[in-house]
Amino acid sequence: LTDFWGTVNTARDALVRTSRPIVKPGTKLISITALDLATKGNYQDFQRYPEVDIAMAADAEATLPALTEACKRLLTADRRGALADRAKRLAEAHGTALERARAEAAYGWDATPISTARMTMELWAAIKNEDWALVAESGIMSDWTSRLWSFEKHYQSLGGSGGAGVGYGAPAAIGAALANKKRGRLSVTIQGDGDFLYAPGVWWTAAHHRIPLLAVMHNNRAYHQEMMHLQRMANRHQRGVTTAHIGTSIDNPNVDFAKIAQGLGVHAQGPITNPNDLGPALRRAIEVVKRGEPSLIDVVTQPR
Amino acid sequence: MTRALVVSFVLAAALASYAQAPPRPGTAAPAGNVDAGKKLFASVGCYQCHGYEAQGSNATGPRLGPRPMAFAAFSRYVRQPSGQMPPYTVKVVSDAELANIYAFIQSRPDRQKRFRC
Repeated sequence: LTDFWGTVNTARDALVRTSRPIVKPGTKLISITALDLATKGNYQDFQRYPEVDIAMAADAEATLPALTEACKRLLTADRRGALADRAKRLAEAHGTALERARAEAAYGWDATPISTARMTMELWAAIKNEDWALVAESGIMSDWTSRLWSFEKHYQSLGGSGGAGVGYGAPAAIGAALANKKRGRLSVTIQGDGDFLYAPGVWWTAAHHRIPLLAVMHNNRAYHQEMMHLQRMANRHQRGVTTAHIGTSIDNPNVDFAKIAQGLGVHAQGPITNPNDLGPALRRAIEVVKRGEPSLIDVVTQPR
Repeated sequence: MTRALVVSFVLAAALASYAQAPPRPGTAAPAGNVDAGKKLFASVGCYQCHGYEAQGSNATGPRLGPRPMAFAAFSRYVRQPSGQMPPYTVKVVSDAELANIYAFIQSRPDRQKRFRC
């Protein structure tokens, strides 16, 4: 037999994924994105090809303020009232969700490896009074930033790769930080460890061109999404349950990301394993960034 | 340098809400060893979705401790889960080992921080 498993099984390795549209039928959809200016391949750039009425190739950040004002001008008094009521309900729901998130964040607060909630809140405490922008978030961290931070300006979240890409975070963050430099914004990125290893040379670029960027690592010492997938497959087949880490963990030896960054000319600290060390490290890093240079903090974290 | 990632592990919402319910009378857990449970929690991969402290993640698996659901329900779910959680049969985690894991979950610290509003 060339495929023993396939001969004795009919089950699928992949679980079924389904999707359904969540917009009302007949809704006109318009996308505004600069990605359309550099499309190379449908799957690589879009993953799922979006179905829209108008695909507008334009810069979202430059467009959004004008689009917001244009929408406001179209509002009637009745609609303004309805939207005010909706905003009130949303604010109440947001407050409830925030309190629930804060309660959940408190579990594992003092843990080592450091909880992603703790890291998120220590970072928030360090940047919340600055003109900050989260320019990339390549570590997958339970949505803590959107659950616990207050995003009030259109440029404060640049989103992700668009296709769950690994290796996007570092170069994207440095590019965005270059764009933010002339605006005087504090560019912040949450840098995944696996993502870091794809193109570490970009940190030399950041140092060489003096690009101010605060990079805080979500270092769970693994390509963790893959590890979870292998675990799931192992369990479904009832074999290899204790070996999902093979080929998916990034340890033995642990990568010294701070040393790599220092070797590339970037101010770097870590690995930080004690959550009480995070606050002081962040303050030192922000001083460096405010001088116009990149700074990286390697934080050893919980998986998600 | 893009590659597709796999779907997240998400336990059923019912489990998330049930996970913190107080144990029902008559469903006491068998005695378990916390240290052995801690090792198992890591070696068989529980921590991957629920965290080393069983603190949970909204993306992968809910918080499990320090007040887990009754052991009988816990055991039933681990053996035959719904949603994306993979099954742990007696072939890979024995009943005694599951009791150890349960003891570890129960031993996790409570909330360690009170946020000011």
